[in-house]
Amino acid sequence: MTNSINEFEDADLFLVTGSNTTAQHPLIGSRIINAKERGAKLLLIDPRAIQLAQFADLHLRQNIGTDVAVLNGMMNIIIEENLYDRTFVEERTEGFDQLKSVISRYTPRVVERISGISAADLEKAARMYATSDKAMIVYCMGITQHTTGTDNVKSCANLAMLTGHIGRPSTGVNPLRGQNNVQGACDMGALPNVYSGYQPVTDTAVKKKFEDAWGVQILDDKVGLTVTEMMIAVRKEEIKSLYIMGENPMMSDPDTSHIDHALSHLEFLVVQDIFLSETAAKADVVLPAASFAEKGGTFTNTERRVQISKKAVPPPGLARPDWEIICEVSRLAGYAMDYTSPADIMREINTLTPSYAGITYQRLEKSHGIQWPCPNEDHPGTIYLHRDRFTKGRGTFLPCDFKPVAEVPDEEYDFLLTTGRIQYHYHTGTMTRRISILEREAPVPMIEINPEDAKRLGIKNNDMVEITSRRGVIKAGAEVTTRVPRKVVFSTFHFHEAPVNLLTNPAHDPLAKIPEYKGCAVKVRRCV
Amino acid sequence: MKTIAKKDVKALLSLWTKDHHVLAPCRTAQGDSIFADFSEESFTLDYKKPPLPPKSVFLPHTEVIFTVENGQFKETVTAHNVVLFGIRSCDMMGILQCTSFMTRDRNDIYYSTKNAVAITVVMACPGPQNETCFCTTTFSGPVAHKGFDLLFYDTGESFIIQTGSKRGDDILMSGPLSDIDNAVARRKIETFTKQAVENIPVVDEITEAMTRLESGNVDEKTWEHFGKKCIACGGCAFVCPTCTCFNVYDHESSPGHGIRARAWDACLYGGFTREASGHNPRATQASRLQRRHEHKLLYYNDADIQGGLCGCVGCGRCSDYCHVRIGTLEVAKALVSN
Repeated sequence: MTNSINEFEDADLFLVTGSNTTAQHPLIGSRIINAKERGAKLLLIDPRAIQLAQFADLHLRQNIGTDVAVLNGMMNIIIEENLYDRTFVEERTEGFDQLKSVISRYTPRVVERISGISAADLEKAARMYATSDKAMIVYCMGITQHTTGTDNVKSCANLAMLTGHIGRPSTGVNPLRGQNNVQGACDMGALPNVYSGYQPVTDTAVKKKFEDAWGVQILDDKVGLTVTEMMIAVRKEEIKSLYIMGENPMMSDPDTSHIDHALSHLEFLVVQDIFLSETAAKADVVLPAASFAEKGGTFTNTERRVQISKKAVPPPGLARPDWEIICEVSRLAGYAMDYTSPADIMREINTLTPSYAGITYQRLEKSHGIQWPCPNEDHPGTIYLHRDRFTKGRGTFLPCDFKPVAEVPDEEYDFLLTTGRIQYHYHTGTMTRRISILEREAPVPMIEINPEDAKRLGIKNNDMVEITSRRGVIKAGAEVTTRVPRKVVFSTFHFHEAPVNLLTNPAHDPLAKIPEYKGCAVKVRRCV
Repeated sequence: MKTIAKKDVKALLSLWTKDHHVLAPCRTAQGDSIFADFSEESFTLDYKKPPLPPKSVFLPHTEVIFTVENGQFKETVTAHNVVLFGIRSCDMMGILQCTSFMTRDRNDIYYSTKNAVAITVVMACPGPQNETCFCTTTFSGPVAHKGFDLLFYDTGESFIIQTGSKRGDDILMSGPLSDIDNAVARRKIETFTKQAVENIPVVDEITEAMTRLESGNVDEKTWEHFGKKCIACGGCAFVCPTCTCFNVYDHESSPGHGIRARAWDACLYGGFTREASGHNPRATQASRLQRRHEHKLLYYNDADIQGGLCGCVGCGRCSDYCHVRIGTLEVAKALVSN
């Protein structure tokens, strides 16, 4: 997030898109509900009528995968009606003319044809966002999990810069991170192209810094592979071994049959996890890891806040904290990683990661966390980013053209399947499906289908339905609901009984390599 | 009666730790005050309303009821010599109401065994601990009337200690204590109590809401309004001193081995009332909220409320912690607003 959670208290408008906030980030969703009660506005752009829809001043239900067109359409209106922040654009940005030229093609009429959102509603939305003093864009996986994910994010950033809704309190572009520490994992360089603090592996000075710190001279200066690319590389036998930690691709990656085949192809698979997941079950070696409550360390949350977490109970059996396992594997492989504690590791992070330099363990022990960037021990941390300048200087508009979902419905596969999560389960259910109350609340996989489609197909509530894509077939109960628009079905990836990723399309974003979980063509029928 | 200088309280508690597991207000490294195991380093008398009521001492969040080994079950009933030091009067009333409910017609031995050996030391409140306190409305404070073993009154540099049981007398047999003339003490207590009661305003909307619920004079839209925004986290039940609902589950570690356990549950969850057929008599969030608040303000059992006003003890925690502001105070105010 460019801004912070507490800043929700003062925002005048929230543009929420691709985030089922009350279900997936309930504490943040609550802030939006409370803000509504004090008079803030809510502009929701989401194909589904999620809980927040009941609070929205305007709910635009775009066709799935048309986000770039919708955001471009809003910018078209904002430029056309002269509602953009001229001073901000002139002083803080570059590339406005290029933006203008691309955006000019996305007139309300054009966008209406692409997105299904009426020109009148789009105009209302554009005016609402542009004329608010403090407007926050809040987005989640509905923006990123597309073949156009990067373009969607760029378009959100373009919109915020165009209107000057960034670099001030209660504004900004605010992706909600889906896991307690996914921000921290990225910050620490669990990405193929950067070291910690987003320092590029291709930068010779950075490479030298890490080589000196670690006493080696062999650090690779080439960008590695993403998960999506690794699975393809395994199929091509370019990768023979994988070491997977805390990830369950057998449930979470698209086109499970392909993943299954890939993992079965490996010469050697190591899985490190707290439970024997579907993926761990395929491993040659399983390394039992400690859960969050069984280890100490830090987590970095969605607002860049690094917080300390203490061990509450000892790990069971042979389980150990991940850092200990990694150190031990490294030692056995010939490189002694002799860290003694998470605090010891943090000392190295402070030294090598400029944005974490002042986030010491000692400070964390006495606080409720510190938000990066925090360049030194006297720095209080950063509540919102890009205050006087963008990290790179001027913010560059990166206009994008609309591209449809990779797999457009046709006569045979006539529905779009979009996937997501529900409140009671987390991801592949490795943890939450072991909790009796959560399992009671959501015991079986369901597929949401619009009443009109259901009627046409003779489907009633709780009927078993069969969903088929070009890659697989699953069966689950039907929930007949107007929450989903016509010709769209929704399901979650929590249930191994109906693993929805058997169906999803591995087509991915060319830059971020994120798969298109949010839209693939399927057909639906009632089971007889 | 006895008195103790404030500076000596730490020494008294230290003494108690020899034979008891003392839970007391503590200051964390981050500056928060919580109830935790007593330690001289973290103990504090500068605390307000503890974030959680003490019910988990008697009804742990998760508790194994029995274990199974080689197909044979073995009941597990545990209890420790706990001293709850410094709990507030509302929480004392919470314990009384829970204990009545858990033992009145059927003895929940997992609860009552723990409750029977616990020593309760109440800290009378000189005024509201924050803006959501309404114990004077629910007859549950600022001073406890019964149930306590010891009751501390703050008189500036020292506390006057009132005993409420033989166990209370016994635990005061030694320690850095002084005697105070009973008549003097009573006068001081009376002054303290009178001032404390004046400091905590009565919330008329609570009693008015109860009357409205009794007579059915309630706008159904109120429940819909709250139901729409409830995020169904169940937090209101978890922070409530009088909520005791639990769910029972089994965990089989291997064939013939495992546990049966119980864990806190909440009536705000859909599955709480869903029947085996799939039918749910409380099918909407609005109806679940209605049920919850009616349980506190209308359908409480007279035998269980222990001299209180109703099934709510006025601690205000549901108002403090509900992320979307659906506490008893907000609900009562909404019920009487039209």
